[in-house]
Amino acid sequence: MKVLACQALSVVAALAAWEAAVRSGALDPTFIPAPSAILRVFGATLTDTLPRLGDTLLKTLLGYALAVGVGVPAGLLLGSRPTAHAVAMPYVVALYGIPKILILPWIALIFGIGLSTAALAAAVFAIFPVVVLIAAGTRDVDPTLVTVAVSMGASRAQVGRKVLFPAVLPSVLTAMRVAVVFAMLGALLAEMLAGNRGMGFQMQRTALAFRAPELFAATAIVSAVSISVVLFLEHLNQRLGRWR
Amino acid sequence: MRVWLWRALVLLAALGLWEAAARMLNPILYVGPSRLPAALVRVLATRDLPPLAGHVWLTLGEIAAAYALAVAGGLWVGFVLGLRKSLGRIYEPLLATLYAVPSVVWYPSLMLFFGLGPSSKIAFGVLLGFFPVTLSVLAGIRQVPATLVAVAVSMGAKPWTLFRKVMLPAMASTMVGGLRSGLALSVVGVLVGELLGARAGLGYVINYAYGLMMTAEYAALVALVAAAVLLLDGAASLVEGRVKRWAG
Repeated sequence: MKVLACQALSVVAALAAWEAAVRSGALDPTFIPAPSAILRVFGATLTDTLPRLGDTLLKTLLGYALAVGVGVPAGLLLGSRPTAHAVAMPYVVALYGIPKILILPWIALIFGIGLSTAALAAAVFAIFPVVVLIAAGTRDVDPTLVTVAVSMGASRAQVGRKVLFPAVLPSVLTAMRVAVVFAMLGALLAEMLAGNRGMGFQMQRTALAFRAPELFAATAIVSAVSISVVLFLEHLNQRLGRWR
Repeated sequence: MRVWLWRALVLLAALGLWEAAARMLNPILYVGPSRLPAALVRVLATRDLPPLAGHVWLTLGEIAAAYALAVAGGLWVGFVLGLRKSLGRIYEPLLATLYAVPSVVWYPSLMLFFGLGPSSKIAFGVLLGFFPVTLSVLAGIRQVPATLVAVAVSMGAKPWTLFRKVMLPAMASTMVGGLRSGLALSVVGVLVGELLGARAGLGYVINYAYGLMMTAEYAALVALVAAAVLLLDGAASLVEGRVKRWAG
């Protein structure tokens, strides 16, 4: 409780110092507008932003579904087959390490500047952390658990449902939480690089038009939305953790 | 040994599939591996592109500046929040929350503030590299066994000795992991900045080639940059391995 109060207090103090710095002329409002100026355009930006943000979130969701749908089975496969893991994992890690932004122009060239490019970009950004995290989580499952269950006469289906599923679930949930941020990053980046709609495009255009208050308001809105999504998934994670 | 054979086979199969697919599809959009060497030569000979060397040095300089600032800031914030537990309890959750925001949302504001020159790329590289360094220092400090610190202090260890002999070995392997991810993210930050709008640098050359539909040159440049990034990360992982051995 005291921590929460201190956090709130520091945020308020930082905003007040920021406001004072702009009013006293230490910061140029052309580049860094005062919080009060951002607040004034907040309502208008919000109504302007929400449909665009919905557009971006739809792309994020499509890419995310693709990344999870392909990445979770791939991660489970690589995690449960040692040979496949030894052969393929270096490539997965290398692809994970290469900045994905490099191939975004190519994706845009093939798929145009619409929905599919951004959704695919979201999937490309999100799939590698999913595969790596789930493969690691699957490898960490204690093999004695399976041996014990089998020796006690558990069927394959029972081993899967009662032993493997609960053991792998935490890493799946962690991967799904991490992947959301990556998917959103990919969608926004694709819109900034090659888009004519969506939040990323809108923010880039606002910046180039030097409309700083609107830009800061939009940044705050996108941040708030992504933080709430992550907090929601974390909450879900804890609930499921208790069930386990 | 057999694993290496399989890995080579997978790589060859992937390249072969890509080549076969590229030959059947539109050659402007799909560049097969067999066309990369010639394109690479054209890129290096700079027949149609801006001379590469200057852009490479600019990008390397931006990365070096961004990483140096990210490490300095990350170590400082990490140690301040980690050593003063009351501050850490308040501000670490705030930092972790900011980490949940897709980083690219900050880029337009940085571009507005710093302009299209190198400083906005450096700023974005700093921002991306800063978080893993800070969070790894915080995690590392939590790993230092309190009893060891208490024993060392009771035996009269000076603060510097305490840091050097007790804390550093306990936190080194976590910290060096964070320094490695910080480097990777600083590189990403600079490249993203250059691709989203720049007048110079490797990202600018890539955009230039792509914008003129010189897709073979674009693909060669991407392969070149990807190889450089992997080499850099490989070198970082060697350093990480050495530090981890030292720390035990």
